[in-house]
Amino acid sequence: MERGVEGRFEGFLAGQGGPAAKATEENTLFSEPSVLIVDRSPETREVLKTALERRGCRILAASRAGRGLELAREHHPDLIVLGLEEASPEAEEVCMPLAAESEASHTPLVVLGSCRRRRRRSALAHGEFVSKPYHYGPLIRRIEELLCSTGRALARSA
Amino acid sequence: MASLFVIRGIDQGTRFELDEPAVCLGRDSSNRVQLHDTEVSRQHAEIVQVESTFTLSDLSSSNGTFVNGQRVERHRLVSGDQIQVGSTLMLYTGPSEESEEELAEKVNIASPRATDDQSHIVHSVSQQEGSRLFEVQPAALPTSWLARARANLQVLYRAALAVSHTLDIDQLLPRIMELIFESVEADRGCIMLVDPDTKRLVPKVRRTRQGVRTDEKITISKTILDYVLEKNEGVLTTDARDDQRWNPAASILQQGIREAICVPMQGRYEVVGVIYIDTSSTPQEVIQKGGAAKFSEDHLKLMIAVAHQAALAVEDTRYYSAMVQAERLAAVGQTIATVSHHIKNILQGIRGGSYLIEMGLKEHDESLVRKGWGIVEKNQNKISSLVMDMLTFSKEREPDLGSAELNRVVDDVVELMQSRAVEEEVTLSWQPAEAMPTLVFDAEGVHRAVLNVVTNAIDAAGGGTRPGRVDVRTEYAPDEGKVRVVVEDTGPGISPEQIETLFSPFASTKKSRGTGLGLPVTQKIIQEHGGQVLVQSALGEGSRFSLELPAVLPGTVPHALAR
Repeated sequence: MERGVEGRFEGFLAGQGGPAAKATEENTLFSEPSVLIVDRSPETREVLKTALERRGCRILAASRAGRGLELAREHHPDLIVLGLEEASPEAEEVCMPLAAESEASHTPLVVLGSCRRRRRRSALAHGEFVSKPYHYGPLIRRIEELLCSTGRALARSA
Repeated sequence: MASLFVIRGIDQGTRFELDEPAVCLGRDSSNRVQLHDTEVSRQHAEIVQVESTFTLSDLSSSNGTFVNGQRVERHRLVSGDQIQVGSTLMLYTGPSEESEEELAEKVNIASPRATDDQSHIVHSVSQQEGSRLFEVQPAALPTSWLARARANLQVLYRAALAVSHTLDIDQLLPRIMELIFESVEADRGCIMLVDPDTKRLVPKVRRTRQGVRTDEKITISKTILDYVLEKNEGVLTTDARDDQRWNPAASILQQGIREAICVPMQGRYEVVGVIYIDTSSTPQEVIQKGGAAKFSEDHLKLMIAVAHQAALAVEDTRYYSAMVQAERLAAVGQTIATVSHHIKNILQGIRGGSYLIEMGLKEHDESLVRKGWGIVEKNQNKISSLVMDMLTFSKEREPDLGSAELNRVVDDVVELMQSRAVEEEVTLSWQPAEAMPTLVFDAEGVHRAVLNVVTNAIDAAGGGTRPGRVDVRTEYAPDEGKVRVVVEDTGPGISPEQIETLFSPFASTKKSRGTGLGLPVTQKIIQEHGGQVLVQSALGEGSRFSLELPAVLPGTVPHALAR
């Protein structure tokens, strides 16, 4: 199914007030919000991508936190979805720089899963936790809400 | 890494690693060591680490903190200490003094030719000989004191031997009683143990010398028992009064004398019970012996020593069964946790697929429905894999033998794994052996075994930042009578410590996409065929797994079921 740029506008922020305006490297303005998805599960990435794209978001995806950090720094997404691998403390460690980056850039962070170590929990304190297993419906709605609130904030400052 | 292992109590089986410089114990969830014991205070105690010293401090808890049975405010912990808070008993294990590698460097086993050592064996003595150390040689006894001392040592040694030969308390205690009867002129005896739950003495063994009336109940004065348990002292009693002893007209000449010895069984940590023996002397015997008592202080001392040995044994068996129970619980807990983890992930996958299907149906978009269905199907297969692995692992099964083509089986595995390899950016190559004959083996089993190894290899090779490689090949070695399926990967490799637990179920939960049972199942299936799994790996150098099977040609094994 082909969708033009108009379709992307309609799907999400039509009638909601000023969409977030972001500049990219090529210096063109994309009005749709961008979401970075970092999760080891290709299924999660696939489902979130499909659902969010249909709602007018541009999706960046990575399977590893390291790559996710690169993408975050390069493209400054409007929201980051970070999937935690619960069984692996090493994986948690690797997610810390990305969490720090999201906090520093005031990018809303949605964390899928829970963090066992208290120390690390504080590093992710600015994020919203969604415990596994979650239902995609409420998750997508929450992501939309967060994007909206960011959009409004940015529109005010512009 | 220092740790606490709960061996008794509600949290039995839980292991807590002391990985922070200050670790708090208590009922509150803010504690690193959270105990669900109502008798434990919310902030009960803490363990502070300074360099290599671990100190336990009580934090003004209501019921106190006990180490090895003693109440403490502050205590420097030593490996093996038993910490009790509320009704929870934990074993403290300190960080290992020297790592295994360091020790290995300091002790060297050298072959005879390699050293200049001139020593040679002069005497050798077997275990049984050793136990005859204190055997009495009648000719060589200078004094009766020495004879007695030697006899006492013999008793003690035999008690120690009895303890070492059995962990079964029900067998040990009667043997101890027998030993006592052989060495001491007792008429009746009994061993009572303190019940760990009710704290009351429960008789475990009762024995009467042959010829003595057995119907009489052994009545032990409660006063004496209390004294023995409280003071932790052995007592020797007699119902003859000292002043009467030398009076021929006294009551002892009518009733005789009853003497008794009651000693506490003092173990490492606490008194676990008592041993009681008594003896009666008839008036005739009293006269014959000139009034001398049968039980002396010497006997009392011997009894205390024997009781100590028995107590150590009781503690060991109790401790041992608590440990076994705790370890079993820990293992069950681990298994349940791992299986739940996998099922949770599969559920998440199904939810994802269902969401897409729902979206697709709502928007009349068949491609979405198809995408969603693909995900649901994939997760169905994952559940199937998990269940099959668990079943394979738990059952005692005979391989389902039949004639099959090994190359075709492995070819099928490679084909199944292609899409995953592409996803992980791994090049999967397949080199079948040219002259592979038809063989007899369990095709489905070997398929599963190879699948698990290849899955692991792809996951390992796909782990890095560079694209990886997995090479699969088969080999036929007719001179060895073996066939091999070899899977090599360019992954990070496996460290020597990891190799040890490689084939243990759920040992590594790192691969959250696997079941944790892959390699154990592979090994089980291959071993059922009479083969073996060989691993060659080093950190940074990738790994090679060789599944070796005996090459059984059809028609050579008469009882094989050929399909």
